[in-house]
Amino acid sequence: MSQLAIKSLSKTYGAFKVFDGLNLAAGGGEIVVIFGGSGAGKTILLRLIAGVEEPTAGTIEIAGHDVSDIAPEHRGVGMAFQNFALFPHMNASENIATPLRAAGADESAVSACVAKVAKLLKIDHVLNHSPRELSNGQKQRTALARALAASPKILLLDDPLRNVDAKLRFEMRLELPRLLRQSGATVLYVTQDYKEAMALADRIAVLANGAFVQTASPEDIYTRPATLGVARLFGDPSINTADAVIGTGGGAHVVLGGTRVPLAESYAGFAGREVIFGVRPEAVEIGSTGVEAEVIAVTPLNERTVLLLQNSSGWEFLASLPSAAAGIPEAGSRVRASFAAAGTHIFDRQGGERLHG
Amino acid sequence: MTAAATQTRAPVKQSRFMRRALPYILSLPALLMCIGILIPFFTAVYYSMLRYRMNLPAMKGFIWFQNYINFFTDPKFWNTVQISLTYAFLTVSLELLLGLAIALLLQRPSRLNNIASILLLLPLMTAPALAALMWKLMTHPDFGVLSYLLTLVGIHDFKWASDPDTALFTVVLVDMWVYTPFIMILLLAGLRSLPKAPFEAAALDGVPRSFVFFRITLPMLMPYIITATLFRLLDSIQQFDIIYAMTQGGPGDKLLVFQVQAYLDFFQATNVGRSAALMIILWAITYALSNVFIKQWLKLRERAHGAH
Amino acid sequence: MDHTSGLEKILRGAAIALVLVFFLFPIAWIFLMSLQTNETILRIPPSLAFTPIIDNYTALITGQLRTAAGSLQLNFMQNMFNSVMLSVCSVALSLVLGVPAAYAFARFKFRLGEDIAFTLLSFRFAPALLVLLPLSLYFKTLGLTNTYIGLIWVYQLICLPLILWIVRGYFEDISPDIEHAYRIAGNSWWKTFTRISIPLAKPGIAAAGLLAFIFAWNNFIFALILASADKQPVTVGALAFVTASGIQYGQIAAAIIISITPTLALALYAQRYLVEGLSMGAVKG
Repeated sequence: MSQLAIKSLSKTYGAFKVFDGLNLAAGGGEIVVIFGGSGAGKTILLRLIAGVEEPTAGTIEIAGHDVSDIAPEHRGVGMAFQNFALFPHMNASENIATPLRAAGADESAVSACVAKVAKLLKIDHVLNHSPRELSNGQKQRTALARALAASPKILLLDDPLRNVDAKLRFEMRLELPRLLRQSGATVLYVTQDYKEAMALADRIAVLANGAFVQTASPEDIYTRPATLGVARLFGDPSINTADAVIGTGGGAHVVLGGTRVPLAESYAGFAGREVIFGVRPEAVEIGSTGVEAEVIAVTPLNERTVLLLQNSSGWEFLASLPSAAAGIPEAGSRVRASFAAAGTHIFDRQGGERLHG
Repeated sequence: MTAAATQTRAPVKQSRFMRRALPYILSLPALLMCIGILIPFFTAVYYSMLRYRMNLPAMKGFIWFQNYINFFTDPKFWNTVQISLTYAFLTVSLELLLGLAIALLLQRPSRLNNIASILLLLPLMTAPALAALMWKLMTHPDFGVLSYLLTLVGIHDFKWASDPDTALFTVVLVDMWVYTPFIMILLLAGLRSLPKAPFEAAALDGVPRSFVFFRITLPMLMPYIITATLFRLLDSIQQFDIIYAMTQGGPGDKLLVFQVQAYLDFFQATNVGRSAALMIILWAITYALSNVFIKQWLKLRERAHGAH
Repeated sequence: MDHTSGLEKILRGAAIALVLVFFLFPIAWIFLMSLQTNETILRIPPSLAFTPIIDNYTALITGQLRTAAGSLQLNFMQNMFNSVMLSVCSVALSLVLGVPAAYAFARFKFRLGEDIAFTLLSFRFAPALLVLLPLSLYFKTLGLTNTYIGLIWVYQLICLPLILWIVRGYFEDISPDIEHAYRIAGNSWWKTFTRISIPLAKPGIAAAGLLAFIFAWNNFIFALILASADKQPVTVGALAFVTASGIQYGQIAAAIIISITPTLALALYAQRYLVEGLSMGAVKG
């Protein structure tokens, strides 16, 4: 039985449809990242689950029970808000203690629990400060501590790292997975940062155009994106694309700039189909065979170096090579690029869905 | 609210009905209040179409718009309109000029200026009816200090509110004493909220001060000026307290503004129909004004509280 | 802009002084009158040389007014009590009714709410007599004429719009997420309202309450029409006082001073709220 189940959930505001028919199930202790651009409705989804807003249609089940008629305070969820939403008239300690006090814990248990969670989040030295006196990072940790304090079965985290600086975000990205695992809660984590999603998630649910386009493990999302849109959202630099037509003469292939690029034979079934050829920059290999191209620019980025290439028909694409690799070409040189099958995806040009070769 | 209170002890289930009904339950008292206002309002509309004199109950009857039609040929009515408009125009324009001047004087937030602006709140916090009594004592023909001060500059026998020629001047003066601080305070808040950059730029460029005032300060202050003016206009055209406490509309018919006239029609002449019709006409004027005012006021309010 | 010359400074100072004299002189002069006997008041020319007496105040407080014709019973303290009673109860009732409604209007954007808020606002600017005259007839039928309850109810006309609109602005300034966070933490709606929303809107509630008190205190026309002598507040009582024959001017002055002191003191005490309150939140104080 899943800890949290969302069944054909819809939300509209007047004529504006936020999402329609969402389905999602998360098991106990699972971390599901809800990923999507701004305005995709990620926050609204969390609010519906928390019960502070009502869905237009559909149900939400927690531990197998429909919670439609259950007030937010009885749903047993914890939530951390993007803007922290700390109670300005209470100090950090009182903020964290709120869910404990509401649950009727006695004062000694409250203070013990606050001390424990504050220590875990390294804010034990600022417990007496009011929210005004906290740095953004401390506010964020206080908000997390408050959400975690009563050990909720379900933890909703609304882009908690959005409003903190880069250094802290980096630290928290390392810390959070352990912290969330420790809590044992089923976590729904909203973010628009794909690295954060990849680092934290057991599964990622990609929300776009009012629906979950793909719900899968981070690896699957990356290696087997359901649509071109998903493929574009994950990966930095993002996937290279070119319009192409699948040909079959002499094995399945596409032609890019006059050069045949062979595909797995299984694509032969799509002969003549107008497609978008996609290749991850990491899958571009520089060698002696493949598409002829000129190196326009070389950008070293720590462990990897990104090349901007252009083929004879003007198609520009990126290649990302390990900086340590031998023989990284210089700008202006002419090279040949081939594409590793694992990072090559073919999408339908009309619908954008990935064609399974 | 009792329903909400029991919710805490109620089982986990929360009825959808309660959740939906909450806003309505919370605003129910205000709604009843609203109805409590609207009933007498519509009664007044109804009365205004009656021939209704309390001393002649037998005459009572529905006469449609006859009360209003009668006004056209009624010099008493036109006197009321003229006095009310004159009073409103004089008080608001004088208060606006004086209030703006004082706000500019106190613009810089120095300690002394702040104390002065706080002290200027005092007349505004004085009940207008009591303010009128204060001025009555000061303009008393026998011992009034103001009458005495006038004799020092050679004006003898200045009768203030009891002289038909100076009665309007006297009540306008009292109105100014009470309400100029209101305009001053609003404009001062407006002045102090203006962005500094245009003024600094103008000072650097050596732009003449009169130019700065007319081309920068005044246009930027305009929303505040309009709001304050409309607010005062709304109040001033309905002035009752000061005039009634000072002269009860006299001497003669000199100060029979709308509300004083309606009050006298109702309680002295017991002509309920005429009184109600008079009030409906005043209401129509204020309703039109208040619609403009509310729009203006909401704009300023949004600016003050940040857009939501 | 600050290159003010010495002359300009002097002119500015003189202008400010002149303004202060015009606006403060009446209060000061009436205060001085209240400390004098009729004899010194009636002196021509008026003079500041007198021995201050508090007889006028003691006479008012005891209700024994000495007049030329003899002793007169006039219970001004009853008016004072009425003013306190009417203002305090009206504001209290207004807060109880208005704060939850203000919250509803701020949080749940619903049609009826807007309609109520705007109706009350537009009647705030409508002539008082429009409602009062028919109401005086209704009150007679209902037996509410000259009762505290009737008056307090009518006083809502002054207090409620003020509280609704000022407090609403403050509620709107509170992020809904803060309330949501408290609820999700396990607290009922009512608890969230009392522990989060109200404490956070406290400055606004205080400002609105104070201002509503001042306006209620200063009101004249409502009680003039709906109350008789024993229920009238000071504003109406003082007028009757003036017209009552034979009363000494010092006593009138003392009555005025007693009547205006509460609002003036409140205004000075809470001046930082007043600017915002007076404009119903259209400018930040």
